[in-house]
Amino acid sequence: MRPIIQVQNLGKKYLLAPRETVAPTLREALKASLRNKTQALLSRDGSHHPTVWALKDINFEVYPGEVVGIVGPNGAGKSTLLKILARITSPTTGEAHLYGQTGSLLGVGTGFHPDLTGRENIYLNGAILGMNRNEIARKFDEIVAFAELEDFLDTPTKRYSSGMYLRLGFAIAAHLEPEILLLDEVLTVADSRFQTRCLQKIKEAGEHGTTVLFISHNLISVNQLCSRAFHIDGGRIQAAGETESVVEHYLKSVVAAPNNAI
Amino acid sequence: MSTSINHADPAVVVPQLQRPLKQLPSEPVINIKPPQVWEKIDFRQLWSEREVLYFLMWRDLKVRYKQTILGAGWVILQPVLMTIVFGIFLGRLIKVPSDGVPYPVFAYTGLLLWTFVSNAVLSSCYSLVINAHLITRIYFSRVLIPTSTIGVRLIDLTIAFAVLVLMMVYYRVPISWGLLLLPAFVIHAAMLALAVGLFGAALNVRYRDVGTLAPILLQVWMFASPLVYSSSIVPAHLRLWYSFNPLVGLVDGLRAALLNLPIPWMSVMLSGVVTWPLLVIAIHVFRRMERSFADEI
Repeated sequence: MRPIIQVQNLGKKYLLAPRETVAPTLREALKASLRNKTQALLSRDGSHHPTVWALKDINFEVYPGEVVGIVGPNGAGKSTLLKILARITSPTTGEAHLYGQTGSLLGVGTGFHPDLTGRENIYLNGAILGMNRNEIARKFDEIVAFAELEDFLDTPTKRYSSGMYLRLGFAIAAHLEPEILLLDEVLTVADSRFQTRCLQKIKEAGEHGTTVLFISHNLISVNQLCSRAFHIDGGRIQAAGETESVVEHYLKSVVAAPNNAI
Repeated sequence: MSTSINHADPAVVVPQLQRPLKQLPSEPVINIKPPQVWEKIDFRQLWSEREVLYFLMWRDLKVRYKQTILGAGWVILQPVLMTIVFGIFLGRLIKVPSDGVPYPVFAYTGLLLWTFVSNAVLSSCYSLVINAHLITRIYFSRVLIPTSTIGVRLIDLTIAFAVLVLMMVYYRVPISWGLLLLPAFVIHAAMLALAVGLFGAALNVRYRDVGTLAPILLQVWMFASPLVYSSSIVPAHLRLWYSFNPLVGLVDGLRAALLNLPIPWMSVMLSGVVTWPLLVIAIHVFRRMERSFADEI
């Protein structure tokens, strides 16, 4: 079987100092760029700012219909990886090839406008996420029912609770039906009942052939849901393979970490 | 690292599927690479995202009128107020020449176009920063964000145009076949606004100075253009240089088309010669910078 996601040598370098501190104004930026040009001529290396590799030497393949969990501590590079695959940010090195339409949910209620009603936001968000109008109209009732927001459709979303916001956001993304679905820690504020339903939905998507990449700190749901997992830390894949052993590998690394003494 | 697992492990657990998988395409649907010096423009993708453009415009219009009393009236207010003020001071008191057209009509045509261009450029400049929450979380062609603000301003322009029609009836200004050129001038104006707006939007992501600087530069641009005075007051030997301001040919051309005056072809051509290359450069600069928007915004 051919992979649906191919990642080769992927790396992402960030400037450690935010650009504001490097060049707070246009004038200083111009000055700095002149200075850098002259320095670059002398040293062959134009960048003098401290940098960090958020991701380095990432290689993997994912096959159609797999649900792959991504685990690792905060700041490990998990989100950066999904952001690259979702084309939100670009890699510094390497390549990735995706053999399918991609949908992503990398944050709660992304694309909602607080002044628009739930109904209006379903259309807006659906369109931004890649559905066309007919598709949204067709799935509208299903989305509303999944989010359980029938009574709040004509309320501006700024009056929604964070749980309602999340439910609507996830409901829209869950009905995208992309070939590849990227999910980044989207269930943190959901109550356990809604979490269960979301996990069920993700499972169904996988069973119907959708390929899912799923970041989560909820190791139990990763264990239940994913056939395979990656443990990412320090911008590198530390372990990959069957979920249980990868999760175990991750937990061992947490215990072994020196700054983990409670 | 444990010995049983490593990232080169080809032993993939293939899940049991309830539905046979669709055949994968032989070519990748999406190729992700580091930023290139020349990013290609994917017109197929832009076309497939046309509904995003529609919904971004729809959102802005909807939100704008949600908690206002005057609603669409605000769109007319700006050019009308400016026309009244300039009509009193320049038209009545100083009596600047207006190419034989009643001064209020003369000024309103200029200010109508200017209101469109300046508002379109300004809202485009701010658009990416305002939509940072989208840029950092959802992928779609970023160029749609500034473009949608210009689309919204085109609708404003249409509304404000209704006032011009009333004025022309009131002052009995005859119309001519030149009116057929109106769509061409409107498109030209939109492309000019898009060109300047794309530069502004992309630069404002990295340097917020641009957002502060833009209104000042627009003020200068306004008085360097024949909006409230006729370009005939510019000495003949400077006229060519003056016409390198793309708004000169645009305003004079639009006015000529609407108000039955001879079309000033030379300045119209020059305006095109400046605008179109500017737009091509703006699109490429934008394409090049957009890959890092999410990291810098």
